Amino acid sequence: MVVSAEDIRSLVLEKLQPSLDAKGLSAEDVPDNFDLLTEGVIDSMGILQLIVEVEARFGITTDFEELDPENLTIIGPFCRHIAKKSLTVNR
Amino acid sequence: MGTAARLSRANAPRQGIHGGFLHSAERYAHRPAVEVRGTILTYDELRSRAMSLAASLQRATPSGGPPLTAVFAYRSATAYSGVLAALLSGHGYVPLNRTFPPDRTRTMLERSGCRSLIVDGESEPQLEAVLQLAKEPLLILLPERADTRSLRSRWSRHTILGASDLEPAGKFEEKPVLPDSIAYLLFTSGSTGIPKGVMVAHRNVAHLVSFMTARYGISEHDRFSQTFDMTFDLSAFDMFVAWERGACVCCPSEKTLLNPAKFIQDAKLTVWFSVPSVGVFMKRLGALKAGRFPTLRWSLFCGEPLPAEIAESWSSAAPNSVVENLYGPTELTIACCLYRWQEGKSEAECLRGVVPVGYPFAGMDVLVVDEELREVPPGEDGELLMAGPQVALGYWQDPERTATAFVVPPGRNQTYYRTGDRVRRPKETAPMCYVGRLDHQIKIQGHRVELGEVESLLRQEAGVEVAVAVGWPITPSGAGGIEAFVLGNQLEPRAILERLKRKLPAYAVPRRIHLLSELPLNPNGKIDRGQLAKLLADLPQF
Repeated sequence: MVVSAEDIRSLVLEKLQPSLDAKGLSAEDVPDNFDLLTEGVIDSMGILQLIVEVEARFGITTDFEELDPENLTIIGPFCRHIAKKSLTVNR
Repeated sequence: MGTAARLSRANAPRQGIHGGFLHSAERYAHRPAVEVRGTILTYDELRSRAMSLAASLQRATPSGGPPLTAVFAYRSATAYSGVLAALLSGHGYVPLNRTFPPDRTRTMLERSGCRSLIVDGESEPQLEAVLQLAKEPLLILLPERADTRSLRSRWSRHTILGASDLEPAGKFEEKPVLPDSIAYLLFTSGSTGIPKGVMVAHRNVAHLVSFMTARYGISEHDRFSQTFDMTFDLSAFDMFVAWERGACVCCPSEKTLLNPAKFIQDAKLTVWFSVPSVGVFMKRLGALKAGRFPTLRWSLFCGEPLPAEIAESWSSAAPNSVVENLYGPTELTIACCLYRWQEGKSEAECLRGVVPVGYPFAGMDVLVVDEELREVPPGEDGELLMAGPQVALGYWQDPERTATAFVVPPGRNQTYYRTGDRVRRPKETAPMCYVGRLDHQIKIQGHRVELGEVESLLRQEAGVEVAVAVGWPITPSGAGGIEAFVLGNQLEPRAILERLKRKLPAYAVPRRIHLLSELPLNPNGKIDRGQLAKLLADLPQF
């Protein structure tokens, strides 16, 4: 399945909505370089849980080996990486 | 940093759990003791820093407090020098964690009664919140801060020492440590809403360290993972077992830890130790590829039930390592039972797909009992009680709860700790298997959470009479998180959650609060948790 980064972003934001609401942020407020970990929206196990859920929803599996851990929790690079992988791995 | 080398105490008697570190610092002065977020500290360097902090503690700690020093530091060089400094000064260390809500950290600091505190740069911004209600004047060491003037004027009642105010390492005077002295005081979730402080003695840790170093043949060439925060007692295994033999503790940043496979490879780890959840996620993300981790010699898991499929996949990903499942609550000092995974044999010994907790460490005694603390017959389930040299001293300033949990069962003559875990009493030489929890304590990502604590805070924050917390979704190792139910409709769940976030660590904060007009009851009139779980199963996830 080919998925766009925008689709993934919408799903991620939907799943994190309670935490974002609690911080008074709406989905449109979240910039591309928003760090889910350092902003306290998610913890380290939470990000892994999120990956598993995104994968399940779109029926894809993602390899994170090539993604710098520094970028793993930043919403833009995170969504683009999964989208890119959905193109190369699952076609 | 050459001072410490001149402080040679090669022939000094080995005292306390830091004795192994001092001994290794003599033999392996220039080998790495810790590698923390890319920065390497040799044994010599770490000893110098620790001695300088210890000398400052000895000089300036206000009198009248307990023999405890708090270490408010997270995955930093100061965390390690701080732990060693507390021990060198003759105190036990109390780990505090900047990723916890400041309110909780403040409660821990207050409960411990510590009069001295070592703080790293990144935890400093929380000091304001943590110190605001401090009753006694404190000594605060800030080894990463050059200029302390502004802080001194703000907190004039406390003594604040920055990097340039610290004593030289040479001023440190070695203190004798009694085997029964507290090595660390660790707070765990308590059912009344107040965290319980477990007092672990030097002799408790010494027993574990001597057993483990021999079993695993640890040498100065070993490189240990530090996946655990210091507020999780399993972190003490990494430090004290490694330092006993001159090995290196590799502490990644929180972010590096998000890609454990890369961490194992980049850090060339030889000893891996984590909660099974990390393995579960690595497997689901496809990171456990056959033969991927050839450097690992030992792969250890503890903190929650280990699924057999994870043991199996990990074995194939780390073909040169032996996989062992460890078991032990904080009150029994890190771990006290273990089981070695052996392909072809272990599968049949698992219970419901979970790897056995196995056999007690040498010197530890197992008793599986019924509600009246009478031993159950082999093959039957009961509560696990354990006695021996790793039974902790009890709960800090809480004789009542200590007496409830640390008991002498009828017909026995030593103190057993009641684990609250249900196990199957093995027949003959079979390994012991874990069955489940007795009470409402659950494991979330290896963290022990008393649902009673969450419920008590919920009632308080929501201003309601009845609140129920359930672990959900159920996973092989416990629960993925918590979902809460409260009786009422004029409430603001989001605002309540926000307040809870200030009181509970992230893993213990409910994911959602559901408002109900009535709670399902079972025939005994008790809240029917099974019905609530069914309700959750019918709801959309997120």
